[in-house]
Amino acid sequence: MIKSLLLYFRLISIQIRSQLHYRFPFLLDLIATGFITLLGFLSLVFVFQRFGHIRGWTLAEVAFLYGLVDSAFGLMDMVFSGFDPQAFGRKVRFGQFDQMMLKPVNLTLQVFSSEFILRRLGRILEGTTIFIISIGLLDMTWTFGKLVYLPVVYFSTVAFFGGLFIIGATVTFWTIESIEVVNIFTYGGTEMMSYPMHIYQDFLRRFFTYIIPAIFINYYPALYFLDKPDPFNMPEYAYLLSPIVGFGILSIALAFWRVGIRHYQSTGT
Amino acid sequence: MRLFWELVLTSFHRQLAYRAAILAGLATNFFFGLLRLAVLVALFGDQIAVEGVSKQAAITYTGLAQAMIGFLSLFSWYELMNTIYTGGIASDLLKPMGYFTYWLGQDVGRALAQLIMRGLPIMAAYAIFFGIVTPNSPAQWVAVVISLVLALLVSFSWRFLVNLAAFWYPNALGIGRLAFTLSLFLSGFLMPLRFFPDWFQRICAFTPFPYTINTVVEVYLGVLPRDEVILSLALQLIWAIILMLAGQIVLRAGIRKLVILGG
Repeated sequence: MIKSLLLYFRLISIQIRSQLHYRFPFLLDLIATGFITLLGFLSLVFVFQRFGHIRGWTLAEVAFLYGLVDSAFGLMDMVFSGFDPQAFGRKVRFGQFDQMMLKPVNLTLQVFSSEFILRRLGRILEGTTIFIISIGLLDMTWTFGKLVYLPVVYFSTVAFFGGLFIIGATVTFWTIESIEVVNIFTYGGTEMMSYPMHIYQDFLRRFFTYIIPAIFINYYPALYFLDKPDPFNMPEYAYLLSPIVGFGILSIALAFWRVGIRHYQSTGT
Repeated sequence: MRLFWELVLTSFHRQLAYRAAILAGLATNFFFGLLRLAVLVALFGDQIAVEGVSKQAAITYTGLAQAMIGFLSLFSWYELMNTIYTGGIASDLLKPMGYFTYWLGQDVGRALAQLIMRGLPIMAAYAIFFGIVTPNSPAQWVAVVISLVLALLVSFSWRFLVNLAAFWYPNALGIGRLAFTLSLFLSGFLMPLRFFPDWFQRICAFTPFPYTINTVVEVYLGVLPRDEVILSLALQLIWAIILMLAGQIVLRAGIRKLVILGG
């Protein structure tokens, strides 16, 4: 275990050093990455001036969701870069994954350390900034429970998106082509979870409650943090489900990943 | 001119070969459309119209914006940049037509295929599931078509210009990402520019970006009086010309810098 961790950090540090080699393009890339999501949020700030609220939620309350999800997704996107379904699909197509199978190191560890896209820091910084500003604007009553639960929710969100990435990567064992539809769940999921779930059409919300239970990841915790009533009359403990769903999806994804590896047949390239 | 249309046709057919990719793109664009629609409808709440835009028109807007992603290649387009890095540009420069025209022809073919295979199905799905508003006179339809053509010209000339950065930087992808992001924000893709603060709308109007998406949307929704429609179309044309000229100047400087190694 310790040996694996040391190896992981070694491989990652090589990745980081090579990305930092061209400082100026890296800086531009970093800014661009943060900018993309920042401008999305800015357009929301602008329209809020005309509309005032979105189904009873103020801008600061939406920012609480938006910042948390963006920051967590950014962190996931950096740590799980190797599993990014698009990049991973390319590795399968071009036979790079076959090369990994020949090396005497745990495969999952190899994929984890095969990529570490540092410019995602831009999104993490952007999301965290929005989140901190929202906390400053909100008049929240902090309790001990909330303080403890906040990092739990954050890392559950990271685990949840990581699980989706791994599932998307595993699917390419069978499809070979990376399938773009996976984007609906990963990028679509982030976009969706950036807003309070009660603004969505019933069928969409039901799908993200009962099929992919994203609603428990951050919406119910947000109701708890912001002391808001539950419009759907779920059991009172619903807000506590975040880590169970987040790490649950990640475990299912890892199990699916192992099945995928066992059934994998090379393309021959 | 015949050569140009041949190029358009070849590029059109090449696009049709990627049917699975187009289908996947369609599904993704439609899903994001659903989310954007929900956000705008929730913002409207009980209001019937905001800034002259009815709720139904706002729903139509989200469909239009999503339908134009493929047509204008809104998120990324690095084909030209790649040929500068791979050296493919050497043979493109030898072709018996202008370099700009050569790429324009390909892009028109690409855009037409995307419009038919991705744009129209999205609007059809919107019409079936949510109901959309449509232009209410033949003259307005004509204006929409002209506006679409000019939007493509403005958009292509801008993308052409951005790709030329590859002449000067060994990795211009970051510059490209920044440029595409900026144009998404200022073009009225994320939200209708009308809903932005007035001071910000005024800033946008000094850039070419609103003349891609926002103008098409406003002409289509019929929120502009007749003389403002004509003014908008004229501004689209002016920006297309400015960007084309800028592209020619930058291209000439770039080619002077270009060294192609044999082998």
